[in-house]
Amino acid sequence: MKRKLTAIVMSGVLAAAMLAGCSSSGSNTETTAAGSNDTTAAAGDTTAAGDTTAAGSQSDSSGGSSGTTLRLVNGKIEVDTQLKALAAEYEKETGVTVQIESMGGGIDIQSTLKGYYQADNMPDIFVCGSDGDFSNWDGLIADLSDEKWTSDTDAGYKTADGRIVGFPYTTEAIGLTYNKSILEKAGIDPATITGPEQLQAAFETLDSKKDELGLTAVIGYSAESTNLYWSTGNHLFGVYLDAGLDRDDTTYIDELNDGGKLDQARFTDYANMVALFNQYSDPDLLVSGTYDQQILNFASGKYAFVTQGSWIGATMTTDDKDQYAAAGNFEVGMLPYAFEDGIDTIQTNSPSWWVVYNNANTDAAKAFLQWCSEDAGQKILVEDAGFISPFKSSQYMADDPFAQTISDYTTAGKTSAWHWLQIKDGIAQNATGVVYQDFASGNLTTEQFVSTMQQVCEQYYAN
Amino acid sequence: MKPDSVAHKVLSPVFLLVGVALMVVSLIMDFTGSSFSGRGAMLVLGLIMALTGLYLLPTLKYHRAIVYVIFLFPLLFAFAITVLIPLVLGVGYSFTDWTGIRFTTWVGLRNYVTMFNDPSFIWSILLTLLFVILNMILVNVIGFALALLCTVKMKLVNFFRAAFFLPNLIGGIVLGYIWQFVFNNVFIDLTKTSLLSQTKTANMAIILVYIWQYAGYIMLIYVTGLTQMPKDVLEAAQIDGANAVKTLFHIKIPMIASTFTICTFLTLTSAFKQFDVNMALTNGNGSVPGFMGSYLSNGTQMLALNIYNTAIAKNNYAQGQAKAVFFFIILAAVSLIQVRLSNKKEVEL
Repeated sequence: MKRKLTAIVMSGVLAAAMLAGCSSSGSNTETTAAGSNDTTAAAGDTTAAGDTTAAGSQSDSSGGSSGTTLRLVNGKIEVDTQLKALAAEYEKETGVTVQIESMGGGIDIQSTLKGYYQADNMPDIFVCGSDGDFSNWDGLIADLSDEKWTSDTDAGYKTADGRIVGFPYTTEAIGLTYNKSILEKAGIDPATITGPEQLQAAFETLDSKKDELGLTAVIGYSAESTNLYWSTGNHLFGVYLDAGLDRDDTTYIDELNDGGKLDQARFTDYANMVALFNQYSDPDLLVSGTYDQQILNFASGKYAFVTQGSWIGATMTTDDKDQYAAAGNFEVGMLPYAFEDGIDTIQTNSPSWWVVYNNANTDAAKAFLQWCSEDAGQKILVEDAGFISPFKSSQYMADDPFAQTISDYTTAGKTSAWHWLQIKDGIAQNATGVVYQDFASGNLTTEQFVSTMQQVCEQYYAN
Repeated sequence: MKPDSVAHKVLSPVFLLVGVALMVVSLIMDFTGSSFSGRGAMLVLGLIMALTGLYLLPTLKYHRAIVYVIFLFPLLFAFAITVLIPLVLGVGYSFTDWTGIRFTTWVGLRNYVTMFNDPSFIWSILLTLLFVILNMILVNVIGFALALLCTVKMKLVNFFRAAFFLPNLIGGIVLGYIWQFVFNNVFIDLTKTSLLSQTKTANMAIILVYIWQYAGYIMLIYVTGLTQMPKDVLEAAQIDGANAVKTLFHIKIPMIASTFTICTFLTLTSAFKQFDVNMALTNGNGSVPGFMGSYLSNGTQMLALNIYNTAIAKNNYAQGQAKAVFFFIILAAVSLIQVRLSNKKEVEL
């Protein structure tokens, strides 16, 4: 009997040890990160359990000693290495470890974070994009209004009651991107395109010279709705909401958020521009293209215009480097989406923000963000990660094809905001993206596009 | 085994008490948000001790029952954690305004009312039903035809069986993306515009991919049924002068009737739960100009995907949960009918 008992106790100890063993190996994945969310979520809790029972095989990378280790969930997987370099630099200066956990490429960050929250495994700093995200976490994230960096930028995320809760880490711009050298060869001065007639004229000129300019199509516009819904339903729709307006002008977003109303006159003008894009776009790209194709063809000089914003600079200079070089590393610029006369702004904004979770590490996290906004942090974020700094005091200029044009518009005060971040969650993916595709594939006329969009928005807001 | 030995009398209550106490303390710590890192280990240790105490309980009468419970415990525990508790919580959440993080109020049946007033959800239900019926017929017809071909005596027959079965081994998401590429870049020479860009053709494309994925699996079951058929019956038919068609309809099909039942229900449930191919291929997109007086943009979205998108993309977890409860009821009903019918069939045989 005694022996039986010892056997049971022994096996119990073994089981506990195994549990601890599994979890400590799990914690190693935490820094490598992107896809392995579930394992890391589980790891957090059990690692802690491992601390006491297992013979301490914990490496310094695991959590535990609070105050010195911060965890940051990054939504831009393309700058994972650069952010790790940033973290290493910060550790060298202050001794505080920052773990970078990068997610992206189709992972739904917000739902992963919700999983972390349920598993009591929240990161100290994470990324939030839309108004919906911020209101979900309201009360759980720290008020950053008293931070020093808030006086250095206007791009922090403000809640409706005026608290700043989001740290801006980059600036992105939405405009009608063009290939400068092609426009020059075609004899078109971008500065003269200030309204729909000039835009149409420019498109026609380019179309007639397609062969001599080596163009496949005038514009690379894709309304594919399965993977590129965000390009049409968010960004291009955001052009209707904001183009030409002052940064704090919320006329059209307010109207939309009031039950999904569209301004008929403005939206009709806008629809005419979309119709123009449909007409002159690459037919291979229009309803079944991919983002990669779109950017590759633009970087190779096959399109004069592309309906993507400044973020494509990173793709052009890395993934599509060879083709971009072969096309002569041409200069790029941005035009306002001038669907009405007098629209002369591009739209710049922080595309998402870092927020600080309320926990024991809140102060350390705030200190890290402050450091990021200062010289040493900005150097890495701007020069290495290619972010365009939202901070006035930052002296660095990103080595990005779009840095110059964004800076020009900003200095001239010709920028509008991104109020599409305030539209109802999921509308692009579930509703409006398809309308653009339907329009592009010729199922809708311009008038039908306007009325359908109106109906779809009202319906989506009603539910 | 002497249940009244001193060791048992002392150890059993001690283990039980300490074990339960450890579990209770660790659970309290967990719910009050304590940061003590040993609480997980405490819970496990407490559990083991309590079970040991139970095993040592000085009783002859219930000893056997206790042993059964201990043996069943791991299974019951896992089942409760992964199925029962989430099910109860899920039903509960469907009556709240849960955001995936927390909920503030109970909203009663509001989620259920909105759900049935939403044309796009009704469309998803109807589309799923249509998809299920079409697939049940098509997959079985094609699977059976393939099975007939693959039971013909010829060389390489095993190679063909493996080849038809292979698509089933590829995961649905991967398969969806592969076919998306095929439709958008390869077939486009034949079809001018991509099949996926129009609702009708996109739905056809989904059915096509689904059959491609699933027919091989169903074929394998039919092959088993056909090869296990007694040879003497076929021989007798041959001697009586039955031709191939007559043999098929009057001998083969009646002989493997039970296989048909199994395959029908297999395709039924799996088509109902179709998600991955749907998501990877079209993500539910497609326009429907006039349905119940409104323009829909989820022309190819089936139930499972509708639920997922409601919760994740629309950031409406409570509503998604309500739809999931409805989905659960449908699936439970289908499964119950399936079990009933297949039991009946077994009795008949």
